[in-house]
This record gives sequence, structure tokens and C-alpha cells, in this order.
Amino acid sequence: MANSVFVRTYIGDDDSFAVNRKEVFRYAGYGGLTDTKDEQIEKLLNEVIAECNEDLSYKVCYRQMELRWENSVPVLPFRTDSKNLAKCLEGSSKVVIFAATIGLGIDRKISRNRLLSPTKALLMQAYGAERVEKLCDVFCSEIGNEAAREGLFCTPRFSPGYGDLPLETQKDVFRLLECNIKIGISLNRSLLMTPSKSVTAIFGLREKNRAKSGNKCELCSKTDCLFRDTQTKEECHEST
Amino acid sequence: MKVLDFIKNNIVYLDGGMGTLLQKEGLQPGELPERWNITHSNVIVSIQKAYFDSGTNIVCTNTFGANSLKYDDEELRAVITAAVENAKKARDTSIGTQEKFIALDIGPMGKLLRPFGDFDFEEAVDAYAKTVRIGAACGVDLIFIETMNDSYDTKAALLAAKENSSLPVFVSNAYGEDGKLMTGACPAAMTAMLEGMGADAIGANCSLGPKQLRGVVEEYLEYASVPVLLKPNAGLPRSENGKTVYDVYPDEFSDDLLEYVNMGVRIIGGCCGTTPDYIYASVQKTKSIVPAEIIPKNRTLISSYTHAVEFGKSPILIGERINPTGKKRFKEALRNNDIDYILGEGLTQQEKGAHVLDVNVGLPEIDEVGMLSTVTFELQAIIDLPLQIDTTNVTAMESALRRYNGKAMINSVNGKEEVMKEIFPLVKKYGGLVVCLTLDEDGIPDTAEKRVEIAEKIIRRAGEFGIDKKDLIFDTLAMTVSADSRAALATLESLNTIRNKLGCNTSLGVSNISFGLPNRDIITSVFFTLAMENGLSAAIMNPNSSEMMKSYYSFRALHAIDDNCTDYIENIGKYITAAAPVTTAVTDVKNQSAEFDSPLQRAIVKGLKEQAAELTKDLLNSEKPLDIVTSHIIPALDIVGKGFENKTMFLPQLLMSAEASQCAFEQIKKRMADTAESSVNRGKFVIATVHGDIHDIGKNIVKLILENYGFEVFDLGKDVPPETVVNAVVEQKAPLVGLSALMTTTVPAMEETIKLLRRDAPWAKVLVGGAVLTQEYADRIGADFYGKDAMATVRYATEVMEHTE
Repeated sequence: MANSVFVRTYIGDDDSFAVNRKEVFRYAGYGGLTDTKDEQIEKLLNEVIAECNEDLSYKVCYRQMELRWENSVPVLPFRTDSKNLAKCLEGSSKVVIFAATIGLGIDRKISRNRLLSPTKALLMQAYGAERVEKLCDVFCSEIGNEAAREGLFCTPRFSPGYGDLPLETQKDVFRLLECNIKIGISLNRSLLMTPSKSVTAIFGLREKNRAKSGNKCELCSKTDCLFRDTQTKEECHEST
Repeated sequence: MKVLDFIKNNIVYLDGGMGTLLQKEGLQPGELPERWNITHSNVIVSIQKAYFDSGTNIVCTNTFGANSLKYDDEELRAVITAAVENAKKARDTSIGTQEKFIALDIGPMGKLLRPFGDFDFEEAVDAYAKTVRIGAACGVDLIFIETMNDSYDTKAALLAAKENSSLPVFVSNAYGEDGKLMTGACPAAMTAMLEGMGADAIGANCSLGPKQLRGVVEEYLEYASVPVLLKPNAGLPRSENGKTVYDVYPDEFSDDLLEYVNMGVRIIGGCCGTTPDYIYASVQKTKSIVPAEIIPKNRTLISSYTHAVEFGKSPILIGERINPTGKKRFKEALRNNDIDYILGEGLTQQEKGAHVLDVNVGLPEIDEVGMLSTVTFELQAIIDLPLQIDTTNVTAMESALRRYNGKAMINSVNGKEEVMKEIFPLVKKYGGLVVCLTLDEDGIPDTAEKRVEIAEKIIRRAGEFGIDKKDLIFDTLAMTVSADSRAALATLESLNTIRNKLGCNTSLGVSNISFGLPNRDIITSVFFTLAMENGLSAAIMNPNSSEMMKSYYSFRALHAIDDNCTDYIENIGKYITAAAPVTTAVTDVKNQSAEFDSPLQRAIVKGLKEQAAELTKDLLNSEKPLDIVTSHIIPALDIVGKGFENKTMFLPQLLMSAEASQCAFEQIKKRMADTAESSVNRGKFVIATVHGDIHDIGKNIVKLILENYGFEVFDLGKDVPPETVVNAVVEQKAPLVGLSALMTTTVPAMEETIKLLRRDAPWAKVLVGGAVLTQEYADRIGADFYGKDAMATVRYATEVMEHTE
């Protein structure tokens, strides 16, 4: 179990980091619309991307550990009775706990634009959200590729605050990963992370591959959310 | 021997990794290593003894995370006391014959400070102070602050060390591959701040292997006048059969350190992954080297939380616009606590090319101490330029300097003994580049000789306070040339002497020269050029003046500061007044607006800011301000609002229109101020992101839209305590309050705020919104209205106001 916290950093200029504009627009409040049909907004997003890219610093810190099961309950390095998390990790022999961030630079840019251009601030916010998700995707697929050598596959990732896993779990994740020293994320009294574009999550590595659920919003009960991903269908079936 | 005496003639060896060795001994993930001082004291002693045995001079106590955030007072004291005892035992039992010292090790607390975190600077100082006091009382030889990845946090730790002990302090920061701290500071900026505050040695540790830290080390050696330290990792870690291994071995590691010692690094050791073998190898390879002399660099630097600005090479432009003198609108902003207006002045000057911003908020009827501190802090949240703190109020000066993240400019001191006695101790404590006015008890001398004499006196007196002349910048006082025809000559002559004979930097408030003359910009900019020719290092000036910027770029090109005239070519076009292309644009627009009632309406709906402003200006020639609002702007906002509600328009478009209509409103407000007409006011609306929550984008959107619809919005910002909300509502007698929360964890703060509001401001309607909220949640916490988006909030607020009318 005793393994170190590792850090990976990314430049973010290769194809795997290509911007998903549709996602950015979803975070900006366009719902599932694929085309904004608004030249000005498209142009503004280009500006935002160019401006923010100077300051993005993609970093992940993580621990990868063996996972034991006791009576169908995963033995994790923190206490939890989350059934959703157990379900997510089902069948896994290893578990990865990670934190990812794109750095404080974009938060500073967003603050500046509160006064300069709130529209830009909104788009930066959306772009940052898309970027950190992309970073998680890249990291998970890297770990997935490495695990594939041992015949293992990634489960979907699961974050504190999802389903029945309380946000309090953030404290355990931060204790385990030393997020502040490793990649500069800190947790405030209300369990919010700074930089704001940061993600913590847990996923398992298991022998069976299952089609990943394409919808990250499926577990959320806030069905009237402006930002809800309504495009991809919820599915989580066995693939043979 | 004292460590600071030892360092004078010796290479100093630090220890190596501790955490990685404890993991090998069985420290579990997430377990607090400092507890091992008590539970596994033998393990700690044997590791530290091994370091002393391998030639280490300074062993750090196992107290990296020993702070009041992780331990209660009693345990903190026990853990630190045991840690120092362990190190002493290791020292006393070691077979090494070298000089041995024990450093109290202090690592970061892991909390980001405000404005981006929720931990206050003073809270951080207090927390570090606890550790320092306990450690110092246990009898250590020095304090070693290490692995700090944020400049503000580093300042808090160093300040705590200085205020609570008289021990030497070494400060080491953790840099990323980009050569910067996690929050953006480069080594030059850290050098400026840490030397300014009196750190005894500075440098880098952790994050990377020795080779990757090359750029960082070179930058330290270029700027630092104190010994430079380096404590790198054993390269990068990887996992091998479930074990962590590092990719740089002792032989390579010590070769790298040898090279750095030859370059001038004076203090070496290792961080994660290194062991006593690494230290032994490094000691063996470097022990016969005669240590490089530590040469004072005599470079004048100030800094922000990202970068340093150097004086004495290219002239530095200090923006003068954050100052109420002679500015009605600015005074009004100060009286109304309208911080955003002041921040706007800062942003504009940065965009126009200022390198430093002067900050003066002195007004007799306001609390200058609070205001200066607030403005300094808020400016640093959005602008990365170093600031010049400008006040005659010493208390205000100190509180702003204390909060400042970096090394500030201080405006000002002069040859009066009384003033020097007050200001120099602050410069010594917090660091700073201080503006010295060449005047004294007898006033401003007429002659250059007398002004130079005062400068000499100031240099002498500053030296007695331990302030080097590189941290003094002389202002020989530009006086009005229309009142005294020799005014400019005396100023320039003394400037020249101070720069060239005394070797000090110089600065001038150049605008004073033209007071009372027509077309001031022209003569001021020529004076500015003359001053630069005479050795002016910095000008306090108006970056909005094209004439000044033309002089600046031309001077640099002519003085071989601007290679290939690159900056001149790139920038000069901005300062040439363009022939009005906007008018053609406006006519174009007039032809395109068939589907709209008016071109202004179209400009707002389409979110075209400049057009909206121009068209409004145009319309003001033929229509009354209020008619423009009712017949052009409001209908445009309605089109956008309905479009948003029907999902034919989306949030970014709603915001762009809001920005455009804001530009139109600004023109109207300007006109109304001239004609003293009153503006539309639908009512007062207090808005805040609740306590504990630091996400304010949603709140800012709602605020903008409300303002568009004519509400007078009082924005209390983010992370606002319930009492602050209630006080504002009571004070303004506001009928409407909007609260925003992002997470389930901050909804209780919202509930508490509502309870307090019900008690003390029962008349107010409370609107809530934010990512986590639902109608059900809103009902449960007793809100009057759940605003699912900005438009819904506007509709409800308008309805409430119509009913009360």
C-alpha cells in the first residue's frame, strides 16, 4: 500500500488536448447546442483560448494502490460507506486516486475580466472547465494504456460529492495526495478547491472492460441545471 | 560558532530527504510524519545521525508539517520539542567532526491565502508564529523555511520568523519546470522580496532534480546578494515493482552540485529521494573548493507576486492615476467605497503600458488606513504590476506594506529627521524601494547643490538603519516652470548629479512641471525626455498621455535600449490619433438595422460595445437622455431577455448585450452629470456570494443584468460574512437582497444569513441562486425567491419594486 504520490505535468499542445468547443459552449450556457450561430461569440472564444493558453499549467498528482475487497466492500485508504463508489470500483484490483489542475493563472484572468468583460469571464470559466476535464481524460487514458499491459481497464472516474460519496472525502484525498505541495491545489473551509479549475477523483483498474458511461451528469439530481449534459445517453452495460 | 559566521568562509552542507526515508520505514499514506518524533524517535535520530555522519552541517528538524492547522496546541508543542531533542541527540552522537547546527524546519501550511483562497494573510502569520515560538524556545540555531510554492505564503512565514525570534532565517522555494512558483513568482521576484525582508540565505528545493533547476539557480545567482542555497530532489520518481525509485543516483547528483558550487552556490543539500549517500558524495566532491565570494549585486528591484521590475536600465513608468487629487469622480468613488472604479483606473493604466502603479487614496473624510490596505489588496487580486504605496499616513503605510505581496515602492521619505525616523524602520522590516524627496526642514532648496546635499544626508541616515542605497530612489522635485523659469534646470542638474556622481536611481513626478500652462502634455513630455537624458530611472506619469508614451518609446530607441527599434515599431502606432473610422462604421450599421427599430437597439442586441457607445453619443445630440433609455435601450434589453427565456439566445449573448448597454448607459450618465438630471433607479439591491464561498461568476452576471435594468446594486463581493450582508441591507434600507452559493457546503451560510436578515431587516425580500440551489432548497432555507438564472431574478426584482410603488 505504501506508495508515493507521483506528479505528471503536461504541455497540452498535442492532439489529445484538442479543444472541444461544444463542451466549452455547454459550460457557457448553450445547453446541448452544437453551433452557437454567433460569429462574435465564436471569435471571442478564440481570443479567450489564445489569452488563457499562455497561463495554463496542466498538472496531476496521484497514488496508485492495490485494492482489497472485504465482503464486497473495497478497502480504501479512507473510511467510506459509499455504495455508488463501491459500485463504480466493482471488480477492481487496483485503485487510483488523483487530483488535477490547470493552475491559478486562469482564475486571475477571470477575476480581471469581472471588470473588463464579463462575457469573457464567462467564456474563460467555461474554457477552464473544459480544460480540466480534458486533462482528466488524458491522464486516465494514459493510466489506462499502462494498465492495459497487465490486462486491466479503467472504471469510470468518481469524485467526492458525487452520489452518496460526501464532499467531506475531499479532506481524505488532500491528506493522501498532499495536493498543495505536489501541484498547488488547496482546499478551503467549505471544501472548495483553489485553483477553481481543479478536479479530484477516484477510479479503479479491473480485468473486465465495460463501455464507459458517456454522461458525467447522470448521477446528479439537479435535472433543471442549465449546464446539464443531455446529449449523451446514460448507459453502463457490459461489453463482451 | 554561529551559523552566519560559519557561512562566511565555508560551503555549508544541508541534510537530504526525510519523508521518503520515513516511507521506507513504514510511514503510511496520509499519516502525519511529525508524530514519529515521539512514536519512532529512534528512527528519526538514526536518520539524522546518518546525515551528520556523512558531513551535513545543518540538519533540519522533522517538523515540515508541524503547524497549528494539523495539531492542537498541546500536541504541537510536544511534537516540536521532541523533534528538536531528536536532532540534538543525533548531533551529540554523530562521529562527524564538522561544525553542526540544527534548523527548525518549516514547510507550507497547504492553504492558499486570500484573495484566491479563504485563509487570511494574518491568520497565516499567526499560525507560522506558533511554530516559530515553540521551536526557538527549544534552542535551535536557525530557521529553515522550505518548499514554499507561493510568494504570499512565503512572506507570511518569513514575517512570523522575524517577528518571533532573532534567529537567522534561510528561505527556500519550490519551482516548477517553468521556473516559477505554483502561483507564478520567478526567482528574481522572490529575491527582491526575501532580501528586502532580511532573509539570510535564499534558494530553491524540491520539485525537480538538480539539472532541471539550472535556470532557477542561475537567476538566483544573478540577483541575490545573500548566499544562495540549493536542495534538489534525486531527479524524478517512478514506480518500480510497487516501490518508488528516483532516477538520479549519488554520483550524478554530486557532480551536478559540484558544478553549482563552482558557479557560486554556497549552501547545498538534497530533498525528496536523497539519502546520506547523496550528501556524503556531495561533501567529498566539493569540500576542497574555496567558496565563491558573495558579492553584493547592487541591483534595484521591486516585485509583485509574479515578476520583478528593475530600475536603472530602461526607464520605468509609474502610473499616477490612482490618486484623488483634482479628480471629482475619483473622490466620489472613495467616498462611496466604489473599489471597482479604482481598480478600473489600474487596469486602464496597465493596458496603456505602465510598469508600476502608484496608489494614493488619501482623502480627509475617509478611513485611509483601511482604504489603502483594501485597495492594495484588491489591486493585487487582478493586476500583476508592482505597486507604489503613496501616503503620508504612517499607519496606513505600514498596514498596506504588510499586506502587499512582493517588494513595494514606498512614496515617500525626505530629508526631515522626523520622517526618516518613522519610515526607514518600515523599509527595513517589510523591504521596499523608497522614494526620497530632496527637501528637508528648511523646505525645497533652490539650487542643485543643496538638493544633492540632502540626498547625501538621506543616504547616510538610511545606512544607519541598515538600508542600502540601492533601495533609495531620489526625487529631485519637478516644480512649476511657469512660476519659476529656472525650476526645470535645478531639478535636472541635481538629478544628473545624484544619478551619475552618487550612483543612485532617480524618479520624478513629471506632470508638475507644466502646471498652469496650456497643452500641458507637450511640455511635460519634452521635460520627461530631458530628464531621461539626465539619467531619470522612473517617472510618475500619466500613461494615458500619448505624448508621454511617444517620448518614452523614442528615447529607448535612441538610447540603444530597444534593439532594432522593435518596441518602437510595435507600439508607436497606438499613440497616433486615427482619422475617425468609427463614423463610417456607424453609417454602415444604420443601413443594416432593418429588422430593428433603431441602430442603437441593434448594437445592444448584437452586443457591439463601441458601436453602442458611439451611437448613444450621436443620439444625445438629438434626443433626451431618458428618452434614449426608454425608446432604445429598454426595448433592446427586452428583446435579449425574451430571447434568453425562449432559449433563442444564450448566456454569453445576454452578457454581451449587457456590456453593450452598459457602454450606452455610461454615455448617458456622463451627459446627465453635466446637465444634473437624475437617472433611472428601480431600487436598491444588495448582492453577495455567501460566507465560505469563493465563486462569484454567477453573482457578477446577475449584478450586471440588474444594473442594466436600472437597479442600484451594492456588490459585497465573495466570501461575505452574514453580519456584513445584514449591515449593508440595514444601512441602505435595501428592499432586495441576492445571495449566491455554489456548493452544498456553503448553503448553511446562506441559511444563517437569511435568518439574520429576517431578524434585523424583515422588510427585505431575499433572492437566492447558484449551482447547487433548487426551488426545494430555497424553500427549505426560507428564501423568498429562487432565481434559476439572471433574467428570472430581474423579473422578480422588478415585480417586487412595482408592487411597492
